[in-house]
Amino acid sequence: MEEGLLVRKIDWGTVIDHIPAWRADRVLRLIDAEQLAKDPEVSVIVLKNVPSRKYGRKDVIKLYHHHMSRTDAALVKLIYPTVTVNYIRDWKVEKYQPELPDVIEGRVRCPEVTCISNSKRDPVVRRFRVLKEDGYIQCYYCDAIVEFSSIPDLAVA
Amino acid sequence: MGEVLVSLKGADVVSSKDFTRPMVERVFEVADEALRSPERFSGSLSGKRVALLFVEPSTRTYSSFHVAARKMGADVLPLVDPEMTSLTKGESLYDTLKMIEGYGVDCIVMRHPARGAARYAADVVRVPVINAGSGSQEHPTQSLLDAYTIRRKRGSIDGLRIGFLGDLRFSRTVPSLVYTLSLFKDVTMHFIAPPALQVRPEVELHLRKRGVSYDKVEKQSEIPRVVGELDVLYVTRLQKERFPDPSEYERLKGSYRVDMELLSNARPTLGVMHPLPRVDELDPEVDGTPHAWYFEQASYGLPVRMALYHLILGG
Ligand SMILES: [Zn+2]
Repeated sequence: MEEGLLVRKIDWGTVIDHIPAWRADRVLRLIDAEQLAKDPEVSVIVLKNVPSRKYGRKDVIKLYHHHMSRTDAALVKLIYPTVTVNYIRDWKVEKYQPELPDVIEGRVRCPEVTCISNSKRDPVVRRFRVLKEDGYIQCYYCDAIVEFSSIPDLAVA
Repeated sequence: MGEVLVSLKGADVVSSKDFTRPMVERVFEVADEALRSPERFSGSLSGKRVALLFVEPSTRTYSSFHVAARKMGADVLPLVDPEMTSLTKGESLYDTLKMIEGYGVDCIVMRHPARGAARYAADVVRVPVINAGSGSQEHPTQSLLDAYTIRRKRGSIDGLRIGFLGDLRFSRTVPSLVYTLSLFKDVTMHFIAPPALQVRPEVELHLRKRGVSYDKVEKQSEIPRVVGELDVLYVTRLQKERFPDPSEYERLKGSYRVDMELLSNARPTLGVMHPLPRVDELDPEVDGTPHAWYFEQASYGLPVRMALYHLILGG
């Protein structure tokens, strides 16, 4: 199968490319793709385990009629450094190299059950510092650390 | 060190990770003064109001913050609700804090069962927040009095070899003391605990980043040898409910008990510390020996907390 056959072009949207094979579902969870269902114009096209010149096999996600936020792009990049993000406007492709964020807010929950950010009574904004050289994120409140690769398990849907 | 200008005025005390060495040494200097001439501090906080919000049982920490504030002439607003019943029933911590701030307090001392509660509180209110224990996370003011004890007993903290024994995973005093001691030069740490109760990964990460040398001692058979090399042995309680398997607790508890037999390997100058209250991990027969630093340690709670109030609210 040729790569070109699988990757039909879109005129408007986002292509999340070079996702490690079979990791597309985790990416979808991470970017809370289900909330896109609110918009009837949006389609999500998921390609799994397709040939890749660079990596052998890869997953690709196309968000048709949706531009993923740069914050989400950065979050995905943090966990899967091979990922590239292309924004498409009127067939024109803008390659975007997300930079690692310093802080992640909202999307990830703290693994510590007794952390104040998991309190049901208090509307605490979940917040992690990104320890780039160490490969961890650290809860701003309770100091718990999470390896980058474990972040999808803690994605808040 | 020279003249280092250290101001703690209006500062929060949330985590020992935020401390600097000049700041810790400033607290020690003022604590020295509070011990030497306590009368110089009487009335120094008159007109100030300190709220003590304790949403968890505490006797020693609570009374030392209370007595220190009263000695210095501050008004104390005690909000003690260990069972989270009347005061905080159904109410968010946010609302409780806002209500307390509304009383016109100058400082909130808080103990709370949730990890991270102190950081959250410091963000919610404008007045300084002093963390008097945030779940199993930290107890930074305890670490100041612990470090102060070592400094009083040994003259200096630099170059010492310090062992932590018992439950290092769920103890809030251990992370705070580790962070505080990591500010000193050439301190070596040994974490003596079974794997399930070892020091938390973020504490280890912190030590690696600061370049502090440490190791984990997980074999019971190695404990006497390691204890023989230490300058300070910091003991915490081993709690049965922390073990996934109760028989594991029965098997291990003897090895993590500090008694004369274990101390027969120790250097004559070894100091044994304990945040108290103890149960049976620390044999009372140690009390009469020069190794026992723990009652003196407890007595420094007052001057160290006076020093903190003075630096944060005074002047
Ligand atoms: Zn947390």
